[in-house]
Amino acid sequence: MGNKIFVFLWAMILLSSCHEVEEWENTPKGNFDALWTVIDKHYCFFEEKGVDWDAMYRKYSLKAKNTLTDEELFLVCAEMLDELKDGHTNLSASFNTSYYRKWWSDYPQNYDARLIQEHYFNFNYRSLNDVDYGILPDNIGYIHYGSFVYGLGEGNIDHILAYLATCESLIIDVRNNGGGNLTNVEPLVRRFITEPILAGYISHKTGPGHGDFSEPFAYYYDPAEKGRIMWGKPIVVLTNRSTYSAANDFVSVMKNLPNVTIVGATTGGGCGMPFSSELPCGWAVRFSACPMYDANGNLTEMGIEPTEGCAVDMDPSAILSGHDTILDFAIDYLTTQN
Amino acid sequence: MKLMANNAYSKLPIEIVAMSKHKIILLLLFIAVSIDIKAIEQDSLQVEPLRPVASAYMLEFGGSRINDTYLTPLKYTGWMVGFQYERMQAMKFNPEKWVMRLSAGVEIDRTQNPAKNADMWYLGLDASWGMMHRWRLGHEITIGAGGSTSLDIGCLYSTRNGNNPASAKAAWTVNATGYVAWNFSIGCLPITVKYQPTLPVTGVFFSPDYGELYYEIYLGNDDGLAHVAWWGNYFAMDNLLTADLHLSNTCLRIGYRNQILSTKVNDIVTRMTTHSVVIGVSGEWISVSSRKGLNPSARLISALY
Repeated sequence: MGNKIFVFLWAMILLSSCHEVEEWENTPKGNFDALWTVIDKHYCFFEEKGVDWDAMYRKYSLKAKNTLTDEELFLVCAEMLDELKDGHTNLSASFNTSYYRKWWSDYPQNYDARLIQEHYFNFNYRSLNDVDYGILPDNIGYIHYGSFVYGLGEGNIDHILAYLATCESLIIDVRNNGGGNLTNVEPLVRRFITEPILAGYISHKTGPGHGDFSEPFAYYYDPAEKGRIMWGKPIVVLTNRSTYSAANDFVSVMKNLPNVTIVGATTGGGCGMPFSSELPCGWAVRFSACPMYDANGNLTEMGIEPTEGCAVDMDPSAILSGHDTILDFAIDYLTTQN
Repeated sequence: MKLMANNAYSKLPIEIVAMSKHKIILLLLFIAVSIDIKAIEQDSLQVEPLRPVASAYMLEFGGSRINDTYLTPLKYTGWMVGFQYERMQAMKFNPEKWVMRLSAGVEIDRTQNPAKNADMWYLGLDASWGMMHRWRLGHEITIGAGGSTSLDIGCLYSTRNGNNPASAKAAWTVNATGYVAWNFSIGCLPITVKYQPTLPVTGVFFSPDYGELYYEIYLGNDDGLAHVAWWGNYFAMDNLLTADLHLSNTCLRIGYRNQILSTKVNDIVTRMTTHSVVIGVSGEWISVSSRKGLNPSARLISALY
């Protein structure tokens, strides 16, 4: 009897001790290993981006010596993260935050807020949170949604759409919208649909392996409830390379609506919902963890192209004469379509 | 007296009849008292016993260590405070052998990462009900053993994380539980020491998938969130050691509590350990109906011993 109790207790201790957590020393090497391991187990786009993460360890661990200062270690770690070419991946220390910027810096900016405010509205436009709106010549409504970090309430959207109700068509400008909360996308899209739509799919990692993913889960948007102001007339969505993350998701949903045209440049992508983690030294790390797909099942991490025939860049010479050629294209498109 | 004579005196042996009148009166008084006591004993066996409620209100404060790999790979350490209510009572169907225990509590932990530049909070609620068979071993020692069922819900919140700031905890478990109580005195101060361990054996608990965002759950994906608990994926233990100092009708309770939770599911490991000092008040109380009053012949059966 005594032996059985002993075996029972020993089994309990063994079972619970299986729940071990990997630990790293708070040294340059330990912090480097922690960063590499966190990304190795949780990052979601190794395959799509063709990144051999083991090779990255071999390449950068040689540089991560225990003699490095914090700033030197930060540069090594940031350089390694840049190999992912991911705008959602950052390392944050008390003295710096690393960004991979080439996803937008290698492309024309294609947006100048002052140009529109001055030459199209003569500085006479309405503002609400991070939204500017007004009526362009040719009776076209214009909304610039600067960031999905800030949400619009249902009442706010009612006010905007009521103000623009007499317009023949609408331009929604999400250039330079770097994203924010996905939950701020749905309230706007709900005003442009009359029946539930498949908005897209979301997936997540089911384990630490690079190929461990769940089946994509379909999610839907419903139309706004009765009594809300809806919009059923033609819409053009303006995009540039800095249309990213939640704004990229907005474009992916809008592109599939029948009366919507995407005009401008390919978006910046950023369809991996980011996770946060940290290193023993206290640095924070953020990285893409949950891939999202559009309604056709396509990954939009590399960006969303404009509607066929609607890819336009801003003409620098036109800027000098007060013209935004992307906006002009959209106005021409809407007036000729109507 | 007359009735006694008719009933008892006529059956007395001849020797007694031959006794002096004074002695006979004394003997009859003794017999009457004996019969009366026996009658009371029989009455009290039929009267429903009094089952006082042993209640305790406990404040807990101590240290906490938390590790939840859904939020961070690092161990966080800090403090915890909690409040626990405990209620024990002998059970109606067999009050000598069976007792019930009800407990409910709330706990708040605040911990920091090793670099002390990020916080993690935990808010937890728990409730438990169980029955235990008890044995009185003599020497003022009573032991109990039985089962209980618990509901634990809580949430870990990391102040630094963006899309994964929280890790929800929810579990319904079936537990093995028991207690050892020992009454003794130091000088003229009666003390009751009790040790009560609780060990979940099985149940159901909540966990998201390895890298699943709560946003996906919000969108409607509720697949695979509930998991059957066994010691391989869910090990928890609650150890409560208390000493009740019987200062008056109410006792001062001091003690120590240790809680362990270790889970591993979907490659997510959660380990939470607290060590806390317990201080509170306890006592055994009886509810008395103003209409019925208290039956003086009823037996008193303590919840603990």
